[in-house]
Amino acid sequence: MRPENYEAQRQPPSNEFELNFGPNHPGIEGNYALKLKLHGDQVVEAKADGGYLHRGFEKLMEQRLWIQNIALVPRICVPDPSPMELCYSMAVEQLCGLEVPERAQWIRVMQLELSRIAAHLFTFGGHAATTGMYSTMYWGVADRDLLLDLFEEFTGGRVYSIYNIPGGVRRELPDGFLQRVSETLDYLESRLPDYDNLFFKNQVFVRRAKGVGVMSQEQALAWGVTGPNLRATGLAFDVRRDDPYLVYDQLEFEIPTEESGDAWARTLVRRLELVQSIRILRQVVEALPDIRGPIRAPIPNPLAWNVPAGEVYTRVESSKGETCYFVVSNGGPKPYRVHVRGPSSMHAVQVLEKMSVGSRIEDIAQTMFSLDACPPEVDR
Amino acid sequence: MSSIKQIPVIEEKRTNPLARVFDELVRFCRSRSLFLLHYCTGCGAIELPPAMTSRFDMERLGIQPMVSPRQADILLITGYVSIKTLKRVILTYEQMGSPKYVIGICSCTVNGGMYWQSYATAKKLDEYMPVDLYIAGCMPRPEAVIEGLQQLMQRIKTGEAKGWEDYYRNYDYYLGNQQKLFGNDWQTPTDVITEAKHYDLLGEGTLGEHTALLEQHQQPLEALEMRLGHQVKEPAE
Repeated sequence: MRPENYEAQRQPPSNEFELNFGPNHPGIEGNYALKLKLHGDQVVEAKADGGYLHRGFEKLMEQRLWIQNIALVPRICVPDPSPMELCYSMAVEQLCGLEVPERAQWIRVMQLELSRIAAHLFTFGGHAATTGMYSTMYWGVADRDLLLDLFEEFTGGRVYSIYNIPGGVRRELPDGFLQRVSETLDYLESRLPDYDNLFFKNQVFVRRAKGVGVMSQEQALAWGVTGPNLRATGLAFDVRRDDPYLVYDQLEFEIPTEESGDAWARTLVRRLELVQSIRILRQVVEALPDIRGPIRAPIPNPLAWNVPAGEVYTRVESSKGETCYFVVSNGGPKPYRVHVRGPSSMHAVQVLEKMSVGSRIEDIAQTMFSLDACPPEVDR
Repeated sequence: MSSIKQIPVIEEKRTNPLARVFDELVRFCRSRSLFLLHYCTGCGAIELPPAMTSRFDMERLGIQPMVSPRQADILLITGYVSIKTLKRVILTYEQMGSPKYVIGICSCTVNGGMYWQSYATAKKLDEYMPVDLYIAGCMPRPEAVIEGLQQLMQRIKTGEAKGWEDYYRNYDYYLGNQQKLFGNDWQTPTDVITEAKHYDLLGEGTLGEHTALLEQHQQPLEALEMRLGHQVKEPAE
């Protein structure tokens, strides 16, 4: 290091200082940064600094065939990739007027809910780690791995499944797979009381997380908050119930809500959603053997597939919130424009910036993890 | 792009047998106590928690995550590096203490991977810093990551993992590529040339036209100046 770079500079008197929080910081989720202005350890101003993970997805998708983009879209949101590929496939199906067979729809629901459980286990494990409780994180990651094994078995990929294609799903379920899903669900259900005792009833967590990063319902609606973060402010809005896609209108489940809108409520909503996802999966496991038929609608030669011109907007409830795609086709072999509306761009930029103000520096990590922001999806 | 100057690896033939035993011991200890820098640059980072925690348990190999670059030995580049990230990666790499090792995880670090036509990512990582080991795949499984780390341990033990020496010996080449990407006024707070002299690693490729350009554009304290909105005044004499 050059010594002249480290000479103390005479600064005008000020009790505020600036701190670069991230991107290389264990308290930040992924490759993301915040520029904080601090007074003591209290945050006076926060500025989100994204772009570390920018790959230019929307431009890349314009340069690839409709079918090639299926491999690209899951990479937008790494912890919860399934809703991305489903949402894109749904958009292409609506443009082409493809009718998805019923069996494929049920299999898609199963994939989405497995992915949701995996993402939630990862998220509250991460939240636990920011409050110093690493055992919960270790447990969460280990239990998530069981779900990844299931994904590997029926899609071929541990993380990126690339299982949906426009018109259905790529392959049939392996023999005895539903039995193994059922066993994994039994195991997960037996683990939930352990998680409660270790983490959710733990006073360390309750006292640390209550009152951190509070937002009211009006603020949440004004800031474009969706998903579990919105439900933690008391509004029971879920795309699965209010604008049903696939076969969610035939399934029974509840929308868990909490009132307080703080970090504790947000993580608790995720914990309650685990139960609902398990409940949905049980119904799927029960119903799937009786639903026979093709798993894929016939599609034209994918390498010379000119999707009819038009515009379409689809939305799916992912584990982070509302994932939406706006796809424009001009009748060519490649999309004319694809816009991705991810939930995290709202959560990690405008919400995190506003909620950090007034909180203490050690609570920034908690706020970010409880918002479940996914930096690759912010930057895209 | 200027081609890398191949410099024969100088074999350290220590005549003193005690010193040779000592070297071997040092290398053995180094390979068994590695700290991994906690910096997730891309999507491959999602397979690191399983590799670190209960199921695959990296810690049984003596590898643990570490939060600060000064204390870390391994820089894992987990996936694509966008140009904005690459600047931070190079800053981080130069701040790490030698010996340091770089592992490129995922296909994106090898040749751009999925994003080969993206305008925002750097395609080949080894143009900007020496990479000791690549783990290809999109993304590599935790078993592959562990296997790669074991290979690195083996290479450290036999003394083959010498990427960090390569950075000092061919600094001009790496700096040239960095300048091509970030502009001619690119500089980092670390004085690599002085460090190279200190380690006695000043090779033929250390100094060249690009380091001359660096000297020309160098401005003290530009990167570290605090930006709080008020003017930094010159200290009164």
